[in-house]
Amino acid sequence: MTLRVSVDTGGTFTDVVAIDEAGGRTYATKTPSTPQDPSVALQAGIEKILRSAGRSADEVEMVVHGTTSATNAVVEHEFEGIGLLVTRGFRHIIEIARQSVPDGYGNSFFWVKPPRLVPLHLVEEVGGRLDFSGAELEAVDERSVHEALSRLQARGVDRVAVCLLHSYASSEHERRVGEIAAEHFPGLAVSLSSTVLPEYREYERAMTTLLDVMVKPYCARYLREAERRIQTDQGDCAFLIMQSNGGVVTARRAAERPVTMLFSGPAAGVLGAIHMAGLSGIGDILTFDVGGTSTDVCVVRNGLPVLSSETVIEGYPVKVPIIDLATVGTGGGSIAWVDPQGSLKVGPRSAGADPGPISYGRGGTEPTVTDAALVLGRLPEALIGGELALRHDLAYAALEELGERVGLAPEEAAAGVLEIAAANQVHGIRRVTVHKGIDPSTYWLVSFGGAGGMLAADVAEFLGSRRILSPPNPGNLSALGLQVSDMRRDLVRTFVRRESTADPKEIIAAWSELGATGYEELRAEGVREGDMTAALAADLRYRGQSYEVRVLVPEEFSVTESTEAMWDLFHAAHDREFGYSYRGEQEVELVNLRVQAVGRIARPNIDVVDPAMPGGSDGRRPSRQVYWRKDGWTDCAVVARASLRPGSELEGPTIVEEYGSTVVLPRGWHARCDAAYNLLLEREPT
Amino acid sequence: MSIDVPASLNPIDYEVIEGTVRSTEVEIESAVERTARSPMIRDQHDYRVALFDARGRKLTGRSYSAVVDPIFEVFGLDNVFPGDVFFWNDPYNSSGGIGHIPDLCTTIPIFKEDRLIGFSQVFGHHDDVGGMVPGSLPVHAVDMWQEGLVVPPIKLYERGRRNSTFDVIARNSRLSDHLKGDLDAERGAALIGVRRIVELADRYGVDLLEEAFDEVISKCARVIRSELLPKIADGVYHWEDFIECDGVTAPRLHALRMTMTKTPDKIVLDFSGTDPEADGPINWAINYSDGRFVRKWMAPVLRSLADTPERAAEIDMNEGVLDVIEVKFPETGTLVTPNFGKPTGLRFFILLRSLGVFAALLAKATGGRMPADHETIRIWGLYGRNDKDDFFLFREVLGGGGPGRPWADGSDVVHVVPNSRNLPVEFSETNYPVRIERLALKTDSGGAGYRRGGLGYDKTIRPLVDTQLLSNADRSLVNTYGTNGGRCGGTYRVSRRRPDGSIEELPGMCDDVAVSAGEEIHVVTTGGGGWGDPLMREPELVAYDVTCGLVSPEGARRDYGVVLEESSGSVEVDQAATLELRARLSAERTDVPMFDRGPYVALARSEGRYRAPEWWKDPDEGWQAGPTEPVVSELATRP
Repeated sequence: MTLRVSVDTGGTFTDVVAIDEAGGRTYATKTPSTPQDPSVALQAGIEKILRSAGRSADEVEMVVHGTTSATNAVVEHEFEGIGLLVTRGFRHIIEIARQSVPDGYGNSFFWVKPPRLVPLHLVEEVGGRLDFSGAELEAVDERSVHEALSRLQARGVDRVAVCLLHSYASSEHERRVGEIAAEHFPGLAVSLSSTVLPEYREYERAMTTLLDVMVKPYCARYLREAERRIQTDQGDCAFLIMQSNGGVVTARRAAERPVTMLFSGPAAGVLGAIHMAGLSGIGDILTFDVGGTSTDVCVVRNGLPVLSSETVIEGYPVKVPIIDLATVGTGGGSIAWVDPQGSLKVGPRSAGADPGPISYGRGGTEPTVTDAALVLGRLPEALIGGELALRHDLAYAALEELGERVGLAPEEAAAGVLEIAAANQVHGIRRVTVHKGIDPSTYWLVSFGGAGGMLAADVAEFLGSRRILSPPNPGNLSALGLQVSDMRRDLVRTFVRRESTADPKEIIAAWSELGATGYEELRAEGVREGDMTAALAADLRYRGQSYEVRVLVPEEFSVTESTEAMWDLFHAAHDREFGYSYRGEQEVELVNLRVQAVGRIARPNIDVVDPAMPGGSDGRRPSRQVYWRKDGWTDCAVVARASLRPGSELEGPTIVEEYGSTVVLPRGWHARCDAAYNLLLEREPT
Repeated sequence: MSIDVPASLNPIDYEVIEGTVRSTEVEIESAVERTARSPMIRDQHDYRVALFDARGRKLTGRSYSAVVDPIFEVFGLDNVFPGDVFFWNDPYNSSGGIGHIPDLCTTIPIFKEDRLIGFSQVFGHHDDVGGMVPGSLPVHAVDMWQEGLVVPPIKLYERGRRNSTFDVIARNSRLSDHLKGDLDAERGAALIGVRRIVELADRYGVDLLEEAFDEVISKCARVIRSELLPKIADGVYHWEDFIECDGVTAPRLHALRMTMTKTPDKIVLDFSGTDPEADGPINWAINYSDGRFVRKWMAPVLRSLADTPERAAEIDMNEGVLDVIEVKFPETGTLVTPNFGKPTGLRFFILLRSLGVFAALLAKATGGRMPADHETIRIWGLYGRNDKDDFFLFREVLGGGGPGRPWADGSDVVHVVPNSRNLPVEFSETNYPVRIERLALKTDSGGAGYRRGGLGYDKTIRPLVDTQLLSNADRSLVNTYGTNGGRCGGTYRVSRRRPDGSIEELPGMCDDVAVSAGEEIHVVTTGGGGWGDPLMREPELVAYDVTCGLVSPEGARRDYGVVLEESSGSVEVDQAATLELRARLSAERTDVPMFDRGPYVALARSEGRYRAPEWWKDPDEGWQAGPTEPVVSELATRP
C-alpha cells in the first residue's frame, strides 16, 4: 500500500495529511513551522505522520506541498539587488504606477507613497520599440542593453526583470535581451515579462515580473532543499507544488515561474472546502479560513471556485491566475487595542506566529483574539492535542488591563474583542460579496483554519446566515485540499480584435497555440495523453470600456464553435457581473485569450474521513464555565470531535474540541454530524 | 437576530455600530462601481456616498458628500415616506451640496417600521446631462442653462413607484441609456445602505442606535478638539489664492479669499473679499444652509495636523466638524456666492483652491507645519475620427505632484480622488490612434524644499491622425505654492512641436485646437510645492534625485545649493563646494518667506490683472518661514 502525503506550511504550524491510496485511511498532524528554513518542518512533519501511522518512508509515493516560501520572500521585503529594464522614455513607470492614492478623499495631502519594489537608480532604459500589434518600429539597441546590464551589475544587482512595451504582442525584443544577459552576464537571474505574463498593461506586468524575479532565487533554493530532504528520506517520490490557481506542478517547474506560487496555501484550503462540502451535497459555499493573522474568504458557486487574474500582495498589484480569494479582517492573532479616543479596536496589527498570542507564553505582550477566547472558556487549556499549553493567567491579566481602559470587566472586554473581531470579518465578507452581487446569507459558511470554528457562529449571526459547515480536521483542510488537486497550467495572450472584423480562424489558431504549449508543459510533467484536457476562456469588453469580463467557453462547444460562443456568451457574463448588457447595441472587443491545460491526477479514496487521530480522545469531557455576552458565565458541555459519529446531534451551548481547532456552538444553534463526518451547524429561527 | 438590548451604549456595541457604518460606506461605493456605467464614475471614481441620521447629520466620513438638507427645506419631514427616492442636481437649489450639473444626487430615506432613522445617498458624475457640448462641461459656457438639464429637488420615486420625471431626465441626455443605468445604479447602491442601517436597528433597537449615532458625531468633534486644534495658534489670519482663467474672458487673477479666526475650540472661516463672480464656469455656489456642505468639504485638511500620517488616515470627518468649523459668506455676487444662473461646470478649480487656502491659513497658525500646495485635477485629451465613421475621444484626468510636508517629500503624480487611475500606455495605443513617445516624471517640477514637492507628469504623445486637442486646466500660469521656505512647484503646460521643430505653447483652457498627424503634443502637469528651506535638504538626497533624473544638476545648484560631481556613472556631493555655495546663497537672500507663489502673481499684479477690496492687505507680506526643523522620520526619505 502506498501513501500520498500533503504538507501545508503556515506561519505558525505546518499541517500534514497522509492518505492511504487504496484504503482511504486518513491521518493528520501538525508540527511547529520553522520560518528560518521551512523545509525542516516539512521533513519533521512527514516523519511525524509516518510514525503515528506506523508506516515507513519508502511507502510514500507522492508529496504535495502548499508553500508560503514565495509569499514570505515578498513579505520580508527581499528587495535588495533587484533591477528593472524598460523601454526608453519610460524609466519612471514604477514610480508613476496608476497615480492612485488609496482610501479617503483628500488623503493626497498626507499620504506617503510607499517604497517601490525597485528603487529608481536601478531602473534602466533600453532602446527599441514595438507597436501594439507586435510590429517592430525600432530594433533593439543591443549596445544599450549591454550598458544597462553592466551598470546594474556594478551597482550590485543580481536579479533583473525585463518589461518592454507591447512585449505581450511579440516577445522578440525581450528574448533578445534575455539572450544577451545569459551570454554576457551569467550570474544574473532574469525574468522576462513576456514569459511571466504576456498580458497588456505595462505597470502591472512590470510589477508581476519584478515579484517573480524577486522571489526566484529564494524559491529555487528552498524547493531544491525541500526536494533534497524528501528524496533523502523517501527516495525518488514525486514532489508537487500547489499554485495560486488551485493546480499543482512539479517543484522544478514551479521554480521557473515562482510568482504563480504566491497564494499556494489559501488556494489549497478552498479546494479542501469544496471537496468536503461536496461530500455533503453542498455546492454554494463561502469559505471562511481563519488563520493567525487574517481570514481568507472565497465565494464558490456550484462547487466551482471563481478564477481571477489579479490580486494584491503587501500593497503591490500582481497579475497571476488565482482562485479568487479575498483577505478580510482579523485572525486569531489579531491584536486588541484602545485608540486615542478610548475606543476598543481589534486589528489590523497581528501578533503573528512570533511572538504569537500572550497565552502561547512566547513573549507576546498585547492581547489577541485567541487570548480573549481563552479567557471566555471557549478554548481548552492546551492546543494541538495537548502539545501547546496555554497560559490562562497571562491572557486574563492582559484582558483585565484592556477592560480597565474602556470600563469593562475582563470577561466582558474579552467578549467584546471576539464580537468586534467577528464584525470586522463580516465587513470584509460584505465587501467581497456585494462586489460580486451575491447575498452571503444564502451560502453555507465553511469554517476552517485554526480559528475558524471559534468565530464562525458569531460571524454567521451578523451576516444573517443560518448555516455553517465545519469539516473534520478544520485545521488541516488546506493540507487535505492539496490531496484533491490536478495539474493546471494557465496560459494567456493579449489578442485585441473586434467582433465585426475578427477572423475566427486567427483566434482559433491563437487558442490552439496556447493549448499546444499547455499540453507540452503537461507532457513534460509526465501527464499521459488521456488525462489531459484544455478549457478555453477569453476576456472581452464593450469597445471603449477599460475593464474586461472573463467568459468561459463550456466544454460542449467544439473548437470551431468556440469563437461564436465566446462573442455570444459575453453579454450574459457582463449582465451577471454588472447587472446589464448591451447585446445588439454595442460592439464587443476581445482582449485576452486564455487556456487552462489540466492534467488529471487520480484522486485518493477519501470519501469518508476518519477523524480519529493522535492526540484526540474519546467521549464527553468535563463541562466547563464559558462566558457569553447575553447569558454571562454558563456551564457548558464540552465534546470531543473524535467521539462524534454520523447521526450524532448537539445542542448549543456546546464546545467541540478537536486536534488543532475548537468549534463553538452557541445557545440557539444545533449541530448534526453527517455521513461525511462534517458537522452541520444550523441556527434556530428567531 | 437580536441581542438583549443593553440599557445604554457600551464600548463594544459602539465599536460594532461605528465599524458597520464605516464599512457600509465602502460597501455602497463598491456597489456603485460594479453597476454604474459612466466612465467618469467607473474609471475616474468620480462619485461619493454617505449615510445620514434622521436629522440629516452625516455619519460617514471617509469622503465628503452632498447634503440631505434639500429634503427638509423643500419637502419637510411630513412628506417623507418609505419607498421615496429623492433626486436633484441643481447647484442653486441643493443647499450648497451640488457643485455642478453633471453630479446627479440620489437620496433614500431609511425607515424602521414607521420611524425615520436616516438617509442613504449616492451622487456621481455622469457622462452627459445635455447642454451645449457632449460631456456637459463646456469651457465657454456663460450661463447654467448651457451646461445641461437642471433638476431641483424632486421625488423620482414616490412610495416605491417611479414617476415620469425619470423619463424626462433620461430624455435630456445624449447618452440616455447610460444615464438611466447610472440612476438605477445609484438607487440600487443606496438601498444597500438602507438595508444595513435597518439591520443595525433590528439588532440594537432604534434608541441605542441613535445614541451611537450621536456618539459617532461628537467623537469626531472631540478628535478635532483634542488632537488637532491645540496645534493651531489662536489668532486672525488672511490668505488668498487664484484661478487664472474663467474660460470666457482673458486670463486674470480670480481670487478666493479667506480670513480664519482661530479660538481655543473653534475655527471661523470668512470668505469676504473673494473676487466677483466670473462670466465663465468657475463659480461655486456654497452660501446655503450655513455652509454645511463646504464646512464638511474643507475639514479634512485639518487631518494633516495629526501626529502621524497613519493617524491622519484613521480620522473620519463627519457632521461633527460643524461643531468646530463655522463659515461666513460675503454678499451675493462673488465666486462663492454667485447669482442664480451663473455657470459652474469647472468649479473643481476653486473647490481645490479652497483646500489650499485653508492649508496655507493653518500653515500661518502652526509655524509652517502644514503640507504645501498641490493641484491634482485637470483633463486633457484628443478627439477626432480614425476614418469617416469612427469617432474617438482619448481623454485623461491626470494627477500632479503632491505637496512637500514636514514628514516626507510629496508623492509623485497623485490625484485627489481616491483610487482614480491613469490610462496604461498599452491601452492608449491599442485603442486610439496615438503613440506615446515618453511617459515620465517632469524633472525639476517638484517645488524645491527641505522636503520637496512631488513631481508632475512629462508626457509626449504623437497623434497618428489629424485631431482636435482639449485641455481643461488651471495652474498653467500661477504655480502651486511652497510653504515654510519651500519653493513653488512647476506649472501645467501643453504645447505642440511641429515637424519643423518649432514649439507652440497652447492655452490651459481650450477645447478646439486642431493638431495634425506628425506633430507632437507635450503635456506637463504641476509639481507639488516644496516644504522648508531647500538649502537645508540633505545633500545626499539631492544627489540621489539627480541620479534618478528627478532634479537636474543645474536645479541642484540653483535651488538647493548642492554642487555635484559625476564620477564613473555615479553622482557624488562635492561637500566643500556645497558648503561654500550654500553659505553664499544664504547670505545673498534677504529673507525666507513663508510662501512662494512663483513669478506670475507678482507679474499679474504689476500689470493690473489683480483686484482686491481696499481693506484687504497682501497676506504674504511680513510672513517669514518658521524654522525648518530636521524631522526624524523614516517616511521622510526613500532609499
